[in-house]
Amino acid sequence: MDNNFFTLMKFELLLVVIIFILLFLKLGKNKMPTVSLLHITNGLLLINLIAGFFGNTDGNLFANMFRTTELIVLEKNILNFGVFIISLQSFSYLKEHKHVTEFYILLLSTLMGMFFMISSQNIFMFYLGLELSTIPLAALSNFDLEKRRSGEAAMKYIISSAFSSGILLFGISLLYGATGSINFSEITPLLTTEPLTIFSFVLLFAGFAFKISAVPFHLWTADVYEGSPVPVTSYLSVISKGAILFVFVSVLYSVFQPLFETWYNVIYLISILTMVIGNLFAIRQNNLKRFLAFSSIAQVGFILVGISGNSPEGTASTIYFILIYIFSNLGAFGVISIVSALKGKENMDDYKGFYKTNPVLTWIFTISLFSLAGIPPTAGFFGKFFLIMAGAGQGNYILITIAALNMIISLYYYLKIVKAMFMDTNENPISTIKTDLIPLTALIICVVGIIITGFVGGCYEYIYSLITI
Amino acid sequence: MSLPLGGEIKERGSMTANDFIFYLLAAFILLNGILAMTTKKIFRSAIFLLFTLIGVAGIYFWMHMEFIAAVQIIVYVGGIVVLIIFSIFLTQQAGMEMPKPTSRRTIFSILSVVTGFSLTYLLINQHTFPANSNEVINVSPNNIGEQMLDYEKTGFALPFEVISILLLAAMVGCIVIAMKKEEVSKKDITETIK
Repeated sequence: MDNNFFTLMKFELLLVVIIFILLFLKLGKNKMPTVSLLHITNGLLLINLIAGFFGNTDGNLFANMFRTTELIVLEKNILNFGVFIISLQSFSYLKEHKHVTEFYILLLSTLMGMFFMISSQNIFMFYLGLELSTIPLAALSNFDLEKRRSGEAAMKYIISSAFSSGILLFGISLLYGATGSINFSEITPLLTTEPLTIFSFVLLFAGFAFKISAVPFHLWTADVYEGSPVPVTSYLSVISKGAILFVFVSVLYSVFQPLFETWYNVIYLISILTMVIGNLFAIRQNNLKRFLAFSSIAQVGFILVGISGNSPEGTASTIYFILIYIFSNLGAFGVISIVSALKGKENMDDYKGFYKTNPVLTWIFTISLFSLAGIPPTAGFFGKFFLIMAGAGQGNYILITIAALNMIISLYYYLKIVKAMFMDTNENPISTIKTDLIPLTALIICVVGIIITGFVGGCYEYIYSLITI
Repeated sequence: MSLPLGGEIKERGSMTANDFIFYLLAAFILLNGILAMTTKKIFRSAIFLLFTLIGVAGIYFWMHMEFIAAVQIIVYVGGIVVLIIFSIFLTQQAGMEMPKPTSRRTIFSILSVVTGFSLTYLLINQHTFPANSNEVINVSPNNIGEQMLDYEKTGFALPFEVISILLLAAMVGCIVIAMKKEEVSKKDITETIK
C-alpha cells in the first residue's frame, strides 16, 4: 500500500476522520453548546467539500474492489456539495435538537456508503455500500424523537428497504449462479439472454427501483417523506436518490449492456408509469412534503427517459440533471425546512399569502419550483431538455411525447403553489420569519446554482467530456 | 468458483446417502422456516428461526466448510437469535397470540409464494449450469483469516472495515432511538400523574 491509498480514497477517509472527530466531541467531558458544534461541523464539511476538488487521480485499490475515475470524483463532489447545502439548511432545525453529533455521524456514514457504492467494482462492495447508505437513514428518519409519525416513517423505511434488499440479494444470488462471478467486469461477457439471467436482472432492477422509488415500487416514499424531519426528507429525495441513480446508470450501461434489448423495454414502461402516476398523485396532495415526494417520483420518471437513451448523452444528462435537481429541490426544501422549523406549518393552505409577509423566501421558493417544472430561464429547463434529447436518441417518439405532456401536467401543480403564495388571500398568513444567516446562505447558493448551471454553457460539456474519455 | 459439493458429480436419478442427507437438511430448513412464518406466538417464531439457522449450519458441515459452519452457529444461533429473543422479551408479551391475518391476505400471500416458487424452479430447472470445476477451495481458518485481512490479492480488508463502520453507525442510531423511549416514558408518567 503506497501513498496512492490516501489520494484515491480521499473522500471516504475524510468522512471517517470527520465522523471520529464528532464521536470524540460527543464522548468528551466538556459539553459544547449546540450552536458552536454546528459551526464546527459546517466548517469541517466545508473543508471536506473543498478538499474534494484537489489532487484527484484515477486508480484501483484493494484488488479492484474500489476504483475511482474523474467521473466518479465529479459524482462524489456533487454529493458532497449537496450534503453541505443540506447541513447549512438544517441549522434552524438542528439548533433546537439534542442529538446533533449523532445526526451528523449517521448522515455522514450514509454518505460514505454511497461513496463506496459509486466506487464499487463488484456486487459485494456495491451491496455493502447500499446497506451502509440505508440502515443509518432509517435511524435518521426517526430523529423527530417525540413524534409518533417520525417513528412510523422509520419503521416503514427499514421494512421496505429490508424487503427490497431481500429481492436484490435473491437477484444477486441467481446472477452469481448463472455467471459464477461477483466482479462486474467478469459478469458482463457471460451475460446472455437466457431466462434465468433475465430473471436475475429483473430482480436486481426491482431492488434499484425500490431505492429510486420508481412506480410501482414507490409506495413507501410519500409516508416516509412526510414523517421524517425536513432535513432528512431533503437528504432522502436528493442525495440518496442521486447516488443510487449514478450507480444505476453505470451498472446499466456497462454491466448490463448485453441485455440492452431487455432493459430498454423495462425502462420504457417504468418511466411512463412513474411520470404519469407521480404527476397525478402530486396534484392531489395538500401536505408540501408529500407533494414534493410525488413530484420527486415524477422527476425520476424523467431521468429514466434520459437513461433509456443508452448513450454517453444518457449518462451526461442524468448527472447534469441531478446536479440541477440538487439545487432546485434543496431550494424548495430549504424554504419548507425553515418554515417548518420555526412555524411548524407544512400544508399548502398555510402558504396562502406568503408573499405579503415573506417576499424573499417566496421568490426563492418560486424560482426553485420553476426550475423543478422546467421553465426556460432556470436550469431545470436545460436539465429536462438534455434528458429528453438523450431519450430521443433511441427514436421512440411515443415516450418523448408522453414525457413532454407530463411536463405540462407538472407545470399545473407547481404553479398552484406559486399562485397560492402570490395571489391567494389569507386572514392569518405565516408571520414574517427572521431567517438565520446560515440557512439563508444555503438558499442563496441554491438560487445562484439554479441560474448559473443553466447559463454557463460549459457545465454539460464538461460532464460529457469526462464520459467520452 | 462453483459450489464444492460433498461428493463427486453423479448422473441424475441415482440417489446416494450424500444426496439424501442434503435433501433431509433442506427439508428441515424449509419446514422450520414455514413454521417460523406461520406460528401465532412470536417467541415460537424465534425458536423455529433458531432451528432454521442450525439447519443452514448443517448444510455448511455437509459442504465440508467446518469453519463457516462454526461461525454460523456462534454468530447466528448463539448471538443473533439470542438478541432477537431478548428484544422480544423487552418489547412484546411473548406468550400472547398475534392477531389472525385476514383470509384475503392469506390467499394472496399463498398465491404469490406458489407463483414465485414455481417460476424460480422452472427457470433454474431450464438453465444449464456450467459443470462443476471441482476446484479445490481452501477453507482452512488460516486462509480465511489471511484473505480477510489482505489488501492486495483479494482486497477483503476493505469490506471488513466498511462493515465495522456500518456497525458503528447502527449502534449510534440504536442508542439515539432507545434514549428517546426513556424521555417519552417520563413524559407519559408526568402526564398520567397530572
